[in-house]
Amino acid sequence: MTERRTMTLNLTEAEMSALEQMSEKKDLSKTALLRQALRLYQLLDVRLSHGEKLYFENELTKAKAELMVL
Amino acid sequence: MSERTPVNLRDGRAAGIVQAVLIDGVTREEIERAQAQWKPVMVEAQARWAAEGRPREKWPQHSHWNWLEKKDSTSGLLAYGFYGIEAEGEMQGLMMVSTAGNACRIASQKGKPLVYVEYLTAAPWNLRLFVPEPRYRSVGPVLIAAAVQLSRDEEFAGRIGLHSLSQSDDWYRDVCGMTDLGQDPAAGHLRYFEMTPEQASNFLK
Repeated sequence: MTERRTMTLNLTEAEMSALEQMSEKKDLSKTALLRQALRLYQLLDVRLSHGEKLYFENELTKAKAELMVL
Repeated sequence: MSERTPVNLRDGRAAGIVQAVLIDGVTREEIERAQAQWKPVMVEAQARWAAEGRPREKWPQHSHWNWLEKKDSTSGLLAYGFYGIEAEGEMQGLMMVSTAGNACRIASQKGKPLVYVEYLTAAPWNLRLFVPEPRYRSVGPVLIAAAVQLSRDEEFAGRIGLHSLSQSDDWYRDVCGMTDLGQDPAAGHLRYFEMTPEQASNFLK
């Protein structure tokens, strides 16, 4: 198993609530969910920095809206 | 950082088990060496098929995969991982997986995360598509088992998914026991397969 390091995370009540809801929905611990989020954020950041764009498409109307990731 | 775990392969030429190593975190150098070892076997087979007049659609569909390119294009990204099996100093198979942004489509698991198997292959000398008598068996199952184990380690309960080349459809359906969710227009009409936690437990038995 790859060595892991521990950190303390300070979240607002709303952020913790969102984290708990997402964790329950995805059937993951909070740590596993945040690791997922980090991987995805890194992937998006790299692809966007290479000039790619991220869109949401409405399944019915096919309208596309670009998602800006900071 | 790579981890190496002992695994067993079945000897395809003589009955028996061969000790091998499962590598989690295959390096660029290992992939480069594997491709160099695999290439002569693939080139020789392709020359033979061309001489025999075998139609192109009967050639192995994954022959053009460039593993080094896949490794380089995902370098440093946490979402991707490379696994390999080494025996007798040679790479016997490779697998690339993704662990972020992939959700189950099967109704009972819909929306839950899974490990997506991007690419998986055995070395050409282990495939009947290339040689009449494969050197090692069970390379594919050991790699799929590694994907299932990774899924469990990630708290994905063993769920995995993949798009299969048509030459491998039967293998994923019948040998791995995955659910065939049909052709996916968004992925070149390749068939999409998923393994539920229950199917994963059955597969590992």
